[in-house]
Amino acid sequence: MSFVANIPAWRELIRASIRFQFMYRFSVIMGILLAGVTIYLLTVVWTSAYAGQDEVGGIPLKLMLVYLTISNLQSWYLKPGIGFDIVDRVREGQIGFDLTRPVSYPSQLIATAAGDQLGMLPMVVVALPVAAVLGELAAPPSWQAGVGYLASFIIAWFIAVELAMIIGLVAFWTLEMTGFMMVYNLVGGFATGALVPLWFMPDLLRQAVQLLPFQSIVYVPVSIYIGIPATGSMYTAMALQVFWAVVLAGVIAIVWKRALYRTVIQGG
Amino acid sequence: MERFSLMRTLAGAAIRSELQYRANAVSSIIGGILFQITGFIVVWIIAARFGQIGDWGLAELTFLYGMRLTSHGIFYAFFSQMFELDRVLITGEFDRYLVRPLPPLMQLFTRKLRINCFGDLIGGSALLIAASSGGVVDWSPIAVVYLLLAVVGGALVEGAVQITLGSLGFRFLQTYPLRASVNEVFNVYGNYPNVIFPTALRAVLTFGLPIAFVAFFPASVLLNRADELSVPAWLASIAPLVGLVLFLIAVRIWRWQSANYQSAGN
Repeated sequence: MSFVANIPAWRELIRASIRFQFMYRFSVIMGILLAGVTIYLLTVVWTSAYAGQDEVGGIPLKLMLVYLTISNLQSWYLKPGIGFDIVDRVREGQIGFDLTRPVSYPSQLIATAAGDQLGMLPMVVVALPVAAVLGELAAPPSWQAGVGYLASFIIAWFIAVELAMIIGLVAFWTLEMTGFMMVYNLVGGFATGALVPLWFMPDLLRQAVQLLPFQSIVYVPVSIYIGIPATGSMYTAMALQVFWAVVLAGVIAIVWKRALYRTVIQGG
Repeated sequence: MERFSLMRTLAGAAIRSELQYRANAVSSIIGGILFQITGFIVVWIIAARFGQIGDWGLAELTFLYGMRLTSHGIFYAFFSQMFELDRVLITGEFDRYLVRPLPPLMQLFTRKLRINCFGDLIGGSALLIAASSGGVVDWSPIAVVYLLLAVVGGALVEGAVQITLGSLGFRFLQTYPLRASVNEVFNVYGNYPNVIFPTALRAVLTFGLPIAFVAFFPASVLLNRADELSVPAWLASIAPLVGLVLFLIAVRIWRWQSANYQSAGN
Protein backbone atom coordinates (compact mmCIF):
# COMPACT_ATOMS: atom_id res chain seq x y z
CA MET A 1 0.00 0.00 0.00
CA SER A 2 2.72 2.38 1.00
CA PHE A 3 4.21 1.88 -2.45
CA VAL A 4 1.16 3.45 -4.15
CA ALA A 5 0.91 6.12 -1.48
CA ASN A 6 4.54 7.09 -2.10
CA ILE A 7 4.12 7.61 -5.83
CA PRO A 8 3.18 11.32 -5.63
CA ALA A 9 6.28 12.04 -3.53
CA TRP A 10 8.55 10.26 -6.00
CA ARG A 11 6.85 12.07 -8.89
CA GLU A 12 7.62 15.43 -7.32
CA LEU A 13 11.27 14.47 -6.75
CA ILE A 14 11.53 13.40 -10.39
CA ARG A 15 10.01 16.73 -11.50
CA ALA A 16 12.35 18.76 -9.31
CA SER A 17 15.45 17.10 -10.67
CA ILE A 18 14.25 17.44 -14.28
CA ARG A 19 13.98 21.20 -13.67
CA PHE A 20 17.42 21.17 -12.09
CA GLN A 21 18.94 19.64 -15.24
CA PHE A 22 17.37 22.36 -17.36
CA MET A 23 18.89 25.06 -15.18
CA TYR A 24 22.36 23.70 -15.80
CA ARG A 25 22.12 23.48 -19.57
CA PHE A 26 25.48 25.17 -20.03
CA SER A 27 27.47 22.62 -18.06
CA VAL A 28 25.54 19.81 -19.77
CA ILE A 29 26.60 21.18 -23.16
CA MET A 30 30.19 21.46 -21.92
CA GLY A 31 29.91 17.78 -20.95
CA ILE A 32 28.78 16.89 -24.46
CA LEU A 33 31.72 18.74 -26.00
CA LEU A 34 34.15 16.95 -23.69
CA ALA A 35 32.60 13.59 -24.58
CA GLY A 36 33.02 14.62 -28.23
CA VAL A 37 36.69 15.41 -27.61
CA THR A 38 37.21 11.92 -26.15
CA ILE A 39 35.25 10.20 -28.94
CA TYR A 40 37.29 11.96 -31.60
CA LEU A 41 40.60 11.14 -29.91
CA LEU A 42 39.70 7.47 -29.53
CA THR A 43 38.60 7.34 -33.17
CA VAL A 44 41.91 8.78 -34.38
CA VAL A 45 44.04 6.66 -32.03
CA TRP A 46 42.36 3.36 -32.87
CA THR A 47 42.31 4.12 -36.61
CA SER A 48 46.04 4.78 -36.38
CA ALA A 49 46.59 1.55 -34.43
CA TYR A 50 44.72 -0.49 -37.08
CA ALA A 51 47.22 1.00 -39.58
CA GLY A 52 45.15 0.23 -42.67
CA GLN A 53 44.19 -3.34 -41.71
CA ASP A 54 40.50 -4.07 -42.30
CA GLU A 55 40.16 -6.12 -39.16
CA VAL A 56 42.17 -7.17 -36.13
CA GLY A 57 41.24 -10.23 -34.06
CA GLY A 58 38.01 -10.57 -36.05
CA ILE A 59 36.90 -7.01 -35.25
CA PRO A 60 36.52 -4.71 -38.28
CA LEU A 61 37.69 -1.13 -37.72
CA LYS A 62 34.25 0.30 -38.42
CA LEU A 63 32.61 -1.91 -35.79
CA MET A 64 35.32 -0.91 -33.33
CA LEU A 65 34.63 2.80 -33.94
CA VAL A 66 30.87 2.32 -33.55
CA TYR A 67 31.57 0.52 -30.26
CA LEU A 68 33.74 3.39 -28.97
CA THR A 69 31.29 6.09 -30.06
CA ILE A 70 28.20 4.46 -28.49
CA SER A 71 30.19 3.56 -25.35
CA ASN A 72 31.35 7.09 -24.73
CA LEU A 73 27.98 8.57 -25.58
CA GLN A 74 26.48 6.21 -23.05
CA SER A 75 29.09 6.91 -20.36
CA TRP A 76 28.43 10.62 -20.84
CA TYR A 77 24.70 10.06 -20.38
CA LEU A 78 24.91 7.61 -17.48
CA LYS A 79 26.67 9.66 -14.82
CA PRO A 80 24.43 9.64 -11.76
CA GLY A 81 25.31 12.64 -9.61
CA ILE A 82 23.61 11.24 -6.52
CA GLY A 83 26.91 10.00 -5.05
CA PHE A 84 28.12 13.60 -4.68
CA ASP A 85 24.66 14.72 -3.51
CA ILE A 86 24.77 12.29 -0.59
CA VAL A 87 28.24 13.45 0.47
CA ASP A 88 27.19 17.12 0.29
CA ARG A 89 24.01 16.58 2.25
CA VAL A 90 25.76 14.58 4.96
CA ARG A 91 28.44 17.25 5.26
CA GLU A 92 25.96 20.11 5.46
CA GLY A 93 23.60 18.25 7.78
CA GLN A 94 20.67 18.47 5.35
CA ILE A 95 20.52 14.70 5.45
CA GLY A 96 18.43 15.18 8.61
CA PHE A 97 15.55 16.60 6.54
CA ASP A 98 15.85 13.81 4.00
CA LEU A 99 15.53 11.23 6.74
CA THR A 100 12.40 12.77 8.24
CA ARG A 101 10.52 12.59 4.94
CA PRO A 102 7.86 9.89 4.79
CA VAL A 103 9.46 8.03 1.84
CA SER A 104 12.71 6.13 2.39
CA TYR A 105 15.96 7.89 1.52
CA PRO A 106 17.20 5.28 -1.00
CA SER A 107 13.91 5.57 -2.90
CA GLN A 108 14.23 9.38 -2.88
CA LEU A 109 17.66 8.95 -4.45
CA ILE A 110 16.37 6.65 -7.18
CA ALA A 111 13.59 9.13 -8.00
CA THR A 112 16.12 11.98 -8.15
CA ALA A 113 18.41 9.98 -10.40
CA ALA A 114 15.48 9.10 -12.70
CA GLY A 115 14.60 12.78 -12.97
CA ASP A 116 18.20 13.66 -13.79
CA GLN A 117 18.22 11.16 -16.66
CA LEU A 118 14.85 12.30 -18.02
CA GLY A 119 15.92 15.94 -17.79
CA MET A 120 19.03 15.16 -19.81
CA LEU A 121 17.09 13.26 -22.46
CA PRO A 122 16.50 16.31 -24.73
CA MET A 123 20.27 16.86 -24.69
CA VAL A 124 20.74 13.53 -26.46
CA VAL A 125 19.41 15.34 -29.55
CA VAL A 126 22.44 17.64 -29.31
CA ALA A 127 24.87 14.85 -28.42
CA LEU A 128 23.96 12.46 -31.27
CA PRO A 129 25.04 14.69 -34.18
CA VAL A 130 28.23 15.65 -32.30
CA ALA A 131 29.04 11.95 -31.87
CA ALA A 132 28.12 11.16 -35.48
CA VAL A 133 30.48 13.84 -36.81
CA LEU A 134 33.40 13.13 -34.47
CA GLY A 135 33.04 9.36 -34.25
CA GLU A 136 31.13 6.70 -36.14
CA LEU A 137 27.46 5.83 -35.66
CA ALA A 138 25.54 2.93 -37.20
CA ALA A 139 22.22 1.19 -36.54
CA PRO A 140 22.35 -2.15 -34.72
CA PRO A 141 22.60 -5.15 -37.10
CA SER A 142 19.08 -6.41 -36.28
CA TRP A 143 15.94 -5.13 -34.56
CA GLN A 144 16.44 -7.77 -31.86
CA ALA A 145 19.83 -6.27 -31.07
CA GLY A 146 18.22 -2.82 -30.89
CA VAL A 147 15.48 -3.91 -28.51
CA GLY A 148 17.97 -5.96 -26.48
CA TYR A 149 20.17 -2.88 -26.20
CA LEU A 150 17.34 -0.73 -24.83
CA ALA A 151 16.45 -3.36 -22.22
CA SER A 152 20.09 -3.83 -21.29
CA PHE A 153 20.58 -0.04 -21.14
CA ILE A 154 17.82 0.31 -18.54
CA ILE A 155 19.43 -2.36 -16.34
CA ALA A 156 22.76 -0.59 -16.86
CA TRP A 157 21.22 2.67 -15.61
CA PHE A 158 19.94 0.90 -12.52
CA ILE A 159 23.38 -0.60 -11.78
CA ALA A 160 25.05 2.80 -12.29
CA VAL A 161 22.62 4.37 -9.79
CA GLU A 162 23.20 1.56 -7.30
CA LEU A 163 26.97 1.93 -7.48
CA ALA A 164 26.75 5.71 -7.08
CA MET A 165 24.52 5.19 -4.06
CA ILE A 166 26.93 2.75 -2.40
CA ILE A 167 29.83 5.16 -2.90
CA GLY A 168 27.75 8.05 -1.56
CA LEU A 169 26.78 6.06 1.54
CA VAL A 170 30.46 5.79 2.47
CA ALA A 171 30.04 9.44 3.53
CA PHE A 172 28.18 8.22 6.60
CA TRP A 173 31.50 6.82 7.81
CA THR A 174 34.04 9.33 6.51
CA LEU A 175 33.76 12.72 4.86
CA GLU A 176 37.33 12.78 3.59
CA MET A 177 36.64 11.02 0.35
CA THR A 178 38.19 13.04 -2.46
CA GLY A 179 41.03 10.56 -2.93
CA PHE A 180 38.66 7.63 -2.63
CA MET A 181 36.19 9.09 -5.17
CA MET A 182 39.03 9.67 -7.60
CA VAL A 183 40.20 6.08 -7.38
CA TYR A 184 36.64 4.86 -7.77
CA ASN A 185 35.97 7.04 -10.82
CA LEU A 186 39.14 5.89 -12.50
CA VAL A 187 38.95 2.20 -11.83
CA GLY A 188 35.25 2.38 -12.64
CA GLY A 189 35.85 4.47 -15.77
CA PHE A 190 38.37 2.04 -17.15
CA ALA A 191 36.60 -1.16 -16.06
CA THR A 192 33.39 -0.18 -17.89
CA GLY A 193 35.26 -0.89 -21.14
CA ALA A 194 34.49 2.55 -22.61
CA LEU A 195 38.14 3.24 -23.52
CA VAL A 196 39.30 -0.26 -24.43
CA PRO A 197 36.72 -3.00 -25.13
CA LEU A 198 37.24 -6.18 -23.13
CA TRP A 199 38.13 -8.23 -26.21
CA PHE A 200 41.35 -6.23 -26.72
CA MET A 201 42.46 -6.36 -23.06
CA PRO A 202 45.31 -8.69 -22.05
CA ASP A 203 43.93 -11.92 -20.52
CA LEU A 204 44.71 -11.21 -16.86
CA LEU A 205 43.27 -7.72 -16.95
CA ARG A 206 40.17 -8.91 -18.78
CA GLN A 207 39.54 -11.66 -16.25
CA ALA A 208 39.84 -9.13 -13.42
CA VAL A 209 37.43 -6.74 -15.14
CA GLN A 210 34.96 -9.57 -15.76
CA LEU A 211 34.72 -10.16 -12.01
CA LEU A 212 33.62 -6.54 -11.40
CA PRO A 213 30.16 -5.02 -11.89
CA PHE A 214 31.40 -2.06 -14.00
CA GLN A 215 31.38 -3.86 -17.34
CA SER A 216 27.59 -4.19 -16.98
CA ILE A 217 27.27 -0.40 -17.24
CA VAL A 218 28.87 0.08 -20.67
CA TYR A 219 30.53 -2.95 -22.22
CA VAL A 220 27.61 -5.38 -21.85
CA PRO A 221 24.84 -3.19 -23.35
CA VAL A 222 27.03 -1.83 -26.15
CA SER A 223 28.24 -5.33 -27.06
CA ILE A 224 24.56 -6.25 -27.51
CA TYR A 225 24.06 -3.15 -29.67
CA ILE A 226 26.84 -4.05 -32.10
CA GLY A 227 25.69 -7.67 -32.34
CA ILE A 228 28.47 -9.49 -30.47
CA PRO A 229 26.99 -9.88 -26.96
CA ALA A 230 29.45 -10.08 -24.08
CA THR A 231 28.64 -13.59 -22.89
CA GLY A 232 27.82 -15.10 -26.29
CA SER A 233 24.06 -14.52 -26.22
CA MET A 234 22.20 -11.40 -25.25
CA TYR A 235 19.99 -13.29 -22.81
CA THR A 236 22.89 -14.54 -20.71
CA ALA A 237 24.45 -11.06 -20.98
CA MET A 238 21.33 -9.50 -19.51
CA ALA A 239 21.12 -12.28 -16.90
CA LEU A 240 24.61 -11.23 -15.78
CA GLN A 241 23.41 -7.64 -15.45
CA VAL A 242 20.34 -8.67 -13.46
CA PHE A 243 22.58 -10.74 -11.19
CA TRP A 244 24.65 -7.63 -10.38
CA ALA A 245 21.57 -5.43 -9.96
CA VAL A 246 20.24 -7.85 -7.33
CA VAL A 247 23.58 -8.28 -5.53
CA LEU A 248 24.10 -4.51 -5.33
CA ALA A 249 20.54 -3.99 -4.08
CA GLY A 250 21.38 -6.43 -1.27
CA VAL A 251 24.57 -4.54 -0.48
CA ILE A 252 22.65 -1.25 -0.33
CA ALA A 253 20.05 -2.74 2.01
CA ILE A 254 22.79 -3.86 4.43
CA VAL A 255 24.91 -0.70 4.20
CA TRP A 256 21.90 1.59 4.53
CA LYS A 257 20.72 -0.13 7.71
CA ARG A 258 24.13 0.39 9.31
CA ALA A 259 24.46 3.93 7.96
CA LEU A 260 21.24 4.95 9.70
CA TYR A 261 22.68 3.93 13.06
CA ARG A 262 25.80 5.97 12.36
CA THR A 263 23.99 9.16 11.45
CA VAL A 264 25.14 12.15 13.44
CA ILE A 265 23.51 15.42 12.47
CA GLN A 266 26.04 18.20 12.80
CA GLY A 267 23.46 20.87 13.48
CA GLY A 268 21.95 22.79 10.60
CA MET B 1 65.10 39.73 -3.78
CA GLU B 2 62.65 40.70 -1.08
CA ARG B 3 59.90 39.63 -3.43
CA PHE B 4 61.34 36.10 -3.64
CA SER B 5 61.67 35.73 0.10
CA LEU B 6 58.03 36.81 0.47
CA MET B 7 56.99 34.25 -2.11
CA ARG B 8 59.01 31.55 -0.36
CA THR B 9 57.29 32.34 2.93
CA LEU B 10 53.83 32.19 1.35
CA ALA B 11 54.58 28.96 -0.53
CA GLY B 12 56.03 27.42 2.64
CA ALA B 13 52.83 28.22 4.54
CA ALA B 14 50.74 26.69 1.76
CA ILE B 15 52.76 23.46 1.85
CA ARG B 16 52.64 23.21 5.65
CA SER B 17 48.88 23.71 5.73
CA GLU B 18 48.43 20.95 3.18
CA LEU B 19 50.57 18.49 5.15
CA GLN B 20 48.42 18.96 8.27
CA TYR B 21 45.99 16.38 6.91
CA ARG B 22 48.32 13.46 6.34
CA ALA B 23 45.86 10.73 5.42
CA ASN B 24 44.18 12.94 2.86
CA ALA B 25 47.57 14.07 1.51
CA VAL B 26 48.68 10.48 0.97
CA SER B 27 45.40 9.45 -0.66
CA SER B 28 45.53 12.54 -2.91
CA ILE B 29 49.01 11.60 -4.12
CA ILE B 30 48.00 8.00 -4.75
CA GLY B 31 44.85 9.24 -6.49
CA GLY B 32 47.02 11.51 -8.65
CA ILE B 33 49.23 8.60 -9.68
CA LEU B 34 46.28 6.30 -10.44
CA PHE B 35 44.54 9.02 -12.42
CA GLN B 36 47.37 9.17 -14.91
CA ILE B 37 48.16 5.46 -14.81
CA THR B 38 44.66 4.74 -16.16
CA GLY B 39 45.33 6.97 -19.15
CA PHE B 40 48.66 5.28 -19.68
CA ILE B 41 47.15 1.78 -19.48
CA VAL B 42 45.06 2.62 -22.57
CA VAL B 43 48.22 3.59 -24.48
CA TRP B 44 50.01 0.50 -23.21
CA ILE B 45 47.22 -1.94 -24.15
CA ILE B 46 46.93 -0.55 -27.67
CA ALA B 47 50.70 -0.41 -28.23
CA ALA B 48 51.19 -3.92 -26.81
CA ARG B 49 48.48 -5.39 -29.02
CA PHE B 50 49.01 -3.39 -32.23
CA GLY B 51 52.74 -2.62 -31.93
CA GLN B 52 52.41 1.13 -32.59
CA ILE B 53 50.30 4.28 -32.59
CA GLY B 54 51.17 6.70 -35.36
CA ASP B 55 54.27 4.58 -36.01
CA TRP B 56 55.58 5.27 -32.50
CA GLY B 57 56.50 2.13 -30.55
CA LEU B 58 55.65 1.39 -26.90
CA ALA B 59 58.93 2.76 -25.47
CA GLU B 60 58.61 5.98 -27.46
CA LEU B 61 54.95 6.43 -26.49
CA THR B 62 55.91 5.83 -22.85
CA PHE B 63 58.61 8.48 -23.09
CA LEU B 64 56.17 11.00 -24.58
CA TYR B 65 53.59 10.22 -21.90
CA GLY B 66 56.24 10.57 -19.18
CA MET B 67 57.40 13.95 -20.45
CA ARG B 68 53.87 15.32 -20.71
CA LEU B 69 52.99 14.03 -17.26
CA THR B 70 56.11 15.48 -15.63
CA SER B 71 55.40 18.86 -17.25
CA HIS B 72 51.82 18.71 -16.07
CA GLY B 73 53.01 17.93 -12.54
CA ILE B 74 55.29 20.99 -12.55
CA PHE B 75 52.46 23.09 -14.00
CA TYR B 76 50.13 21.87 -11.29
CA ALA B 77 52.64 22.44 -8.50
CA PHE B 78 53.02 26.12 -9.41
CA PHE B 79 49.78 27.12 -11.11
CA SER B 80 47.05 24.93 -9.60
CA GLN B 81 45.40 27.99 -8.06
CA MET B 82 44.47 29.25 -11.52
CA PHE B 83 41.61 26.78 -11.15
CA GLU B 84 40.38 28.69 -8.06
CA LEU B 85 40.43 32.04 -9.85
CA ASP B 86 36.65 32.33 -10.26
CA ARG B 87 36.16 32.11 -6.51
CA VAL B 88 38.94 34.61 -5.83
CA LEU B 89 37.35 37.13 -8.20
CA ILE B 90 33.72 36.58 -7.23
CA THR B 91 34.22 36.68 -3.45
CA GLY B 92 36.37 39.80 -3.65
CA GLU B 93 39.40 37.98 -2.21
CA PHE B 94 41.30 39.65 -5.05
CA ASP B 95 40.89 43.02 -3.26
CA ARG B 96 43.36 41.88 -0.64
CA TYR B 97 45.92 40.95 -3.29
CA LEU B 98 45.81 44.49 -4.64
CA VAL B 99 46.88 46.13 -1.39
CA ARG B 100 49.76 43.76 -0.58
CA PRO B 101 53.35 44.36 -1.73
CA LEU B 102 53.56 41.45 -4.17
CA PRO B 103 52.12 41.13 -7.71
CA PRO B 104 48.55 39.74 -7.44
CA LEU B 105 49.32 36.86 -9.82
CA MET B 106 52.10 35.62 -7.50
CA GLN B 107 49.78 35.83 -4.51
CA LEU B 108 47.26 33.75 -6.40
CA PHE B 109 49.89 31.11 -7.23
CA THR B 110 51.04 30.80 -3.61
CA ARG B 111 47.51 30.74 -2.22
CA LYS B 112 47.40 26.99 -1.71
CA LEU B 113 49.22 23.86 -2.84
CA ARG B 114 47.35 21.03 -4.49
CA ILE B 115 49.27 18.06 -3.29
CA ASN B 116 48.22 15.60 -6.00
CA CYS B 117 50.80 17.28 -8.27
CA PHE B 118 53.33 14.97 -6.58
CA GLY B 119 51.37 12.05 -8.02
CA ASP B 120 51.95 13.43 -11.53
CA LEU B 121 55.64 14.08 -10.82
CA ILE B 122 56.24 10.58 -9.43
CA GLY B 123 54.24 8.89 -12.21
CA GLY B 124 55.88 10.99 -14.94
CA SER B 125 59.41 10.33 -13.70
CA ALA B 126 58.68 6.60 -13.39
CA LEU B 127 57.50 6.48 -17.01
CA LEU B 128 60.55 8.45 -18.20
CA ILE B 129 62.88 6.03 -16.40
CA ALA B 130 61.00 2.98 -17.71
CA ALA B 131 61.09 4.31 -21.28
CA SER B 132 64.78 5.24 -21.07
CA SER B 133 65.76 1.75 -19.99
CA GLY B 134 64.40 0.65 -23.38
CA GLY B 135 67.29 2.59 -24.95
CA VAL B 136 65.18 4.94 -27.08
CA VAL B 137 67.20 8.05 -26.15
CA ASP B 138 70.97 8.57 -26.51
CA TRP B 139 71.68 10.09 -23.13
CA SER B 140 74.38 12.74 -23.30
CA PRO B 141 74.77 15.58 -20.77
CA ILE B 142 73.17 17.89 -23.35
CA ALA B 143 70.19 15.56 -23.74
CA VAL B 144 69.65 15.53 -19.95
CA VAL B 145 69.79 19.32 -19.74
CA TYR B 146 67.44 19.58 -22.72
CA LEU B 147 64.97 17.20 -21.05
CA LEU B 148 64.96 19.31 -17.88
CA LEU B 149 64.48 22.55 -19.83
CA ALA B 150 61.76 20.91 -21.92
CA VAL B 151 59.63 19.70 -19.00
CA VAL B 152 59.83 23.17 -17.43
CA GLY B 153 59.03 24.73 -20.82
CA GLY B 154 56.02 22.41 -21.16
CA ALA B 155 54.75 23.50 -17.76
CA LEU B 156 55.13 27.15 -18.85
CA VAL B 157 53.12 26.49 -22.02
CA GLU B 158 50.25 25.06 -19.98
CA GLY B 159 50.60 27.90 -17.48
CA ALA B 160 50.56 30.51 -20.26
CA VAL B 161 47.33 29.12 -21.71
CA GLN B 162 45.62 29.03 -18.32
CA ILE B 163 46.76 32.55 -17.40
CA THR B 164 45.64 33.97 -20.74
CA LEU B 165 42.20 32.36 -20.48
CA GLY B 166 42.04 33.28 -16.79
CA SER B 167 42.55 36.96 -17.57
CA LEU B 168 39.21 36.84 -19.38
CA GLY B 169 37.81 36.38 -15.87
CA PHE B 170 38.27 40.12 -15.19
CA ARG B 171 35.51 40.70 -17.71
CA PHE B 172 33.36 37.57 -17.49
CA LEU B 173 33.99 36.38 -13.89
CA GLN B 174 33.17 32.76 -14.64
CA THR B 175 35.78 31.18 -16.89
CA TYR B 176 36.32 27.92 -15.01
CA PRO B 177 34.29 25.67 -17.36
CA LEU B 178 36.28 26.98 -20.32
CA ARG B 179 39.66 26.61 -18.62
CA ALA B 180 38.86 23.16 -17.24
CA SER B 181 37.82 21.98 -20.70
CA VAL B 182 40.98 23.33 -22.31
CA ASN B 183 43.03 21.66 -19.57
CA GLU B 184 41.22 18.41 -20.34
CA VAL B 185 42.07 18.72 -24.04
CA PHE B 186 45.76 19.20 -23.10
CA ASN B 187 45.51 16.17 -20.81
CA VAL B 188 44.15 13.79 -23.43
CA TYR B 189 45.55 15.07 -26.73
CA GLY B 190 49.01 15.92 -25.39
CA ASN B 191 49.80 12.28 -24.61
CA TYR B 192 49.67 11.08 -28.20
CA PRO B 193 52.02 11.75 -31.11
CA ASN B 194 50.58 14.68 -33.02
CA VAL B 195 51.20 12.83 -36.32
CA ILE B 196 48.05 10.73 -35.89
CA PHE B 197 45.84 13.77 -36.53
CA PRO B 198 44.81 15.13 -39.94
CA THR B 199 47.05 17.96 -41.20
CA ALA B 200 44.65 20.81 -40.42
CA LEU B 201 44.15 19.66 -36.83
CA ARG B 202 47.92 19.23 -36.41
CA ALA B 203 48.30 22.92 -37.23
CA VAL B 204 45.53 23.86 -34.78
CA LEU B 205 47.18 21.78 -32.03
CA THR B 206 50.49 23.53 -32.74
CA PHE B 207 49.66 27.17 -33.40
CA GLY B 208 46.09 27.49 -32.08
CA LEU B 209 46.36 25.58 -28.82
CA PRO B 210 50.13 25.07 -28.42
CA ILE B 211 49.77 21.46 -27.21
CA ALA B 212 52.51 20.12 -29.49
CA PHE B 213 55.07 22.35 -27.73
CA VAL B 214 54.34 20.83 -24.31
CA ALA B 215 55.86 17.41 -24.93
CA PHE B 216 55.44 16.17 -28.49
CA PHE B 217 58.05 18.46 -30.10
CA PRO B 218 60.78 18.11 -27.47
CA ALA B 219 60.12 14.34 -27.24
CA SER B 220 60.51 14.08 -31.04
CA VAL B 221 63.86 15.88 -30.72
CA LEU B 222 65.12 13.53 -27.99
CA LEU B 223 63.83 10.45 -29.83
CA ASN B 224 65.56 11.52 -33.06
CA ARG B 225 62.26 11.90 -34.85
CA ALA B 226 62.31 15.65 -35.42
CA ASP B 227 62.86 15.24 -39.17
CA GLU B 228 59.45 13.52 -39.51
CA LEU B 229 57.50 16.54 -38.28
CA SER B 230 55.33 18.82 -40.39
CA VAL B 231 57.19 21.82 -38.91
CA PRO B 232 60.93 22.59 -39.34
CA ALA B 233 63.13 20.66 -36.87
CA TRP B 234 64.57 23.90 -35.42
CA LEU B 235 61.09 25.07 -34.39
CA ALA B 236 60.52 21.81 -32.55
CA SER B 237 63.86 22.04 -30.78
CA ILE B 238 63.25 25.53 -29.39
CA ALA B 239 60.08 24.31 -27.62
CA PRO B 240 61.45 25.20 -24.13
CA LEU B 241 62.09 28.76 -25.30
CA VAL B 242 58.60 28.94 -26.82
CA GLY B 243 57.24 28.02 -23.39
CA LEU B 244 59.12 30.87 -21.74
CA VAL B 245 58.06 33.42 -24.37
CA LEU B 246 54.39 32.37 -24.25
CA PHE B 247 54.50 32.61 -20.47
CA LEU B 248 55.91 36.15 -20.50
CA ILE B 249 53.28 37.20 -23.04
CA ALA B 250 50.55 35.65 -20.91
CA VAL B 251 51.69 37.59 -17.83
CA ARG B 252 51.54 40.78 -19.92
CA ILE B 253 48.00 39.97 -21.04
CA TRP B 254 47.02 39.29 -17.44
CA ARG B 255 48.36 42.66 -16.26
CA TRP B 256 46.67 44.46 -19.11
CA GLN B 257 43.30 42.77 -18.48
CA SER B 258 43.45 43.12 -14.69
CA ALA B 259 42.71 46.82 -15.17
CA ASN B 260 39.13 45.66 -15.83
CA TYR B 261 38.76 44.21 -12.33
CA GLN B 262 35.63 45.39 -10.58
CA SER B 263 35.52 44.48 -6.94
CA ALA B 264 32.50 42.59 -5.69
CA GLY B 265 32.87 44.49 -2.44
CA ASN B 266 33.85 43.00 0.87
